[in-house]
Amino acid sequence: MQLKNRTLRRQLSLATCALLTGIPGQASSADWVVDAGVMSYSESDRVSAVKTIATGQRLTEETTISVTVLVDTLTGASPNGASAATTSQTFTTASGTAYTATEKETPLRDFEDTRTAISSSWEQVLNRLFRLKLGADISTEDDYDSLGLNASLSRDFNNRLTTVTVGAAITQDTITPSGGTPVERSATDGTTLAIQSKEEEKSTTDLLLGVTQILSRTTLTQLNYSYSLVDGYMSDPYKIVSEVDAVTGNTTGYRYEKRPDSRIRQSVNWTTAHHLTEDVVHFTYRYFWDDWGIDSHTFDLKYRYEIGAGHYLQPQVRYYMQSAADFYRHSLVDSEVLPNYLSSDQRLGEMSSYTIGLKYGFPVFTDGRLSLRIAYMQQSGDSSPSDAIGSQKQVDLFPTLEAMIVNVNFNIPF
Amino acid sequence: MGSLTVEQQAGYWVGRFKAMASPCEVLMEASNRSDAVALAQSAYDEVKRIEQKFSRYRDDNIIYKINTSQGRAVEVDDEMANLLDYADHCYQLSEGRFDITSGLLRQAWKFDGSANLPPMELIERLKSSISWKKVDWQRPYITLPSGMEIDLGGIGKEYAVDTSINLLKQKTAASLLINFGGDLAVTAPRKSGGGWCVAVDSPDRVGSSTGQEIELKQGALATSGDAQRYLLKEGVRYSHILDPTTGWPVVDAPRSVTVFAASCTEAGILASLSMMHGSGAEAFLNEQQIKSWVVR
Repeated sequence: MQLKNRTLRRQLSLATCALLTGIPGQASSADWVVDAGVMSYSESDRVSAVKTIATGQRLTEETTISVTVLVDTLTGASPNGASAATTSQTFTTASGTAYTATEKETPLRDFEDTRTAISSSWEQVLNRLFRLKLGADISTEDDYDSLGLNASLSRDFNNRLTTVTVGAAITQDTITPSGGTPVERSATDGTTLAIQSKEEEKSTTDLLLGVTQILSRTTLTQLNYSYSLVDGYMSDPYKIVSEVDAVTGNTTGYRYEKRPDSRIRQSVNWTTAHHLTEDVVHFTYRYFWDDWGIDSHTFDLKYRYEIGAGHYLQPQVRYYMQSAADFYRHSLVDSEVLPNYLSSDQRLGEMSSYTIGLKYGFPVFTDGRLSLRIAYMQQSGDSSPSDAIGSQKQVDLFPTLEAMIVNVNFNIPF
Repeated sequence: MGSLTVEQQAGYWVGRFKAMASPCEVLMEASNRSDAVALAQSAYDEVKRIEQKFSRYRDDNIIYKINTSQGRAVEVDDEMANLLDYADHCYQLSEGRFDITSGLLRQAWKFDGSANLPPMELIERLKSSISWKKVDWQRPYITLPSGMEIDLGGIGKEYAVDTSINLLKQKTAASLLINFGGDLAVTAPRKSGGGWCVAVDSPDRVGSSTGQEIELKQGALATSGDAQRYLLKEGVRYSHILDPTTGWPVVDAPRSVTVFAASCTEAGILASLSMMHGSGAEAFLNEQQIKSWVVR
C-alpha cells in the first residue's frame, strides 16, 4: 500500500509537471523512456556504416539513470594512405590477398568491423543547487577496446538562470591489430610487415568547464571549454605513406605512418538556442586547436519549424574547416631525410566540409516520437597541391569525399 | 468587476482583484510601482483568460462546446488537451475518485448546512451520467456521451495560480506570491533569504488564523475544505467533497486539508484526494510523505 501511494505521488508529480510545462506526452506514468535509432552512413563507393543505438532512461524526481547500447557495423574500403599514381599499385590486404589500385585511383583498404558499446550514467540532484553526474562506458571491436569513466558537477546560480558545470573524464584504450602493430616509419612493399608490438595503449584525460545562461525567456546560451590530454599510441596501424622519386614523382615505395605519442586538444564551443513564437533556431560555433598544428572552425545552424500537431521539419547547414597537422604529408620524397612524424591521413590534412540535412519528426502512438533525417556531406581538400612532383601533377592527391547519412530515431516511454 | 488595485506595503507591493469568484492577490518584491502594476496586470489577465476559457458558467468557450456536443467529437487545442490528459491521469491514479464528469452531482447536493439529503433515486439517475471511462478521449478529440458534462472546476483555480506564476517568472526574477482565493504559490525566496508568511485559515473562523503560520520560500499551497459547505443529519457531517464512485459526500472527511507541493495544481489534487479518504485522510498523507496541515 505504501509503495503504491508513493508511486501515485510520483506519477502525479510527473503528470503535473507535463501539464504546466505544456509538453504533451511527458505526462506518461512511464518508468523508462527508450530511444532507439538506426543510422546509415554511406560514402560513394567506399565505407558504409550502420549504427544501431538504444538508450533507456529512468527518470525520477531526483535521479536520472541512463543506459545506452550501441552496435556499429562498418564495411567497405577507406584510403590506405598511399597516393594515387599514374601506374597501377599492388598491395596485400589483411586477408592476404593481393589488391591492385589501377592508375590514378586512390588506393583503398577493405575492412569490416563491428563495434559494440555500452555506456551508463547516473545523475543525482544533491540539493537545491547542486547536481552530480557519474558515468562509465566500455566499447569493444575486433582490434580496439576502450574503457572510460566520467564525472561532472553542476551548480545553479542567479535564481537558476546560470548553471556552471565542471567535469572530468579518463579513457583507457587498447589497440590490438590483427598481426600486431607495424614498426612506425618502417618501409613496406605492401606485403611484409615488421611487427613493433602486439598491443598498444592510449590514455586520455578530459577536463570540461561549461556555463549555461538563460538570457531571456526565449534565449539560452552555453559556452564550454574543454582540455584534453592524450598519451600513447595514436598512429593508424593500417595507414601507409607513399614515397616518390624526387624528379619523376613516381611511387618508389611505402612507409608506415607515425604520429606523436602525445597530444593536447582544446576547444571552445558556443551554442545558442532561440525560441521564436513556435519555432526554434540553434546556432553552434566551435573552435578547436591542438599541439599538432590543427586549428578548426565549425559552424552549425539548425532551424526547427513547427508544422503543428507535433510535426516538425528541421533543416540544417554545417560548415567545417581545418588546417593541416604539422606532420601531414600527402607523400614523401625518397631522397629526403625521414621526418620524425608522418601521416597522409586526410583527416589530418587541410580541408573543409559542408553538410546539408533535413529532419522530419512526428508523434506516433500515444506518447512516442519518430524522426527521420537525411543529410549529404561533402569533404574536400587540395587535390593538386603546389608541391606535387612530376607524375603526381596528373593524379588527385586529395580525393573529394561524399556521403549520405540517414537517421531513423524512435522515442517511446514504457 | 475588472478593478485592479496596487498598493505599497512594507518591503513589497500588493495587487488585488477579484476573479474566479474569489479574492485574488499578488505580492511582489517589485522595485517600483509601474513594475508592480505590470506584473499584477499580467496575473489578472492570465486568470481572466483561464476563467473565460474553462469556466462552466459561460456559453462561449470550449467547455460549453463539449458539454453541448450531443455525442459528437470535438477537437480541442493543446492547452485543453493537456488538461484532459492530466484529468485522465488523475482519474486513473485516484481509481475514479477524481472525475471531471462528476459535476452533475451538484444538482442533487446543496450544501447549505441543512439536513436536506437528496432522494436516492436522483443520485442513482445522475450516477449513470458520471464516469470519465465513458468519455472517448483521443487527443485532440473528445467525444462526450449525450447527457454528460465535464467541469474543470476541481483544478481550474490551482492551474491558474501555476500558469500565472510561470508567466510572471518569465517577466521578473523578483520574489512574488500569487494567492487566488487561498490557493497560492511562491516563485523564489525573498531578497532577505526568507519566505512569505502564510497563515492557514481555520474553517470555523474564516479570515482568522488558526495560529499556524507557514513560511513559504518556494512551492505552493492548496486547501481543500470549506466551513460553510456541509450537511448535518443525525449527527453525521457530510462534507461538500463528493465521491463520484458512490455519488455521496465523503463521511468523516477533515474540515480542511492544506497541502504543500511543488505546484499549486499538484497540491490541490493531493488535498482533494486526501479528503476523499475521509477518516483515512491523515494516513494517506503520511503514507505519501506529503507536507500537510489537517483541521478536523
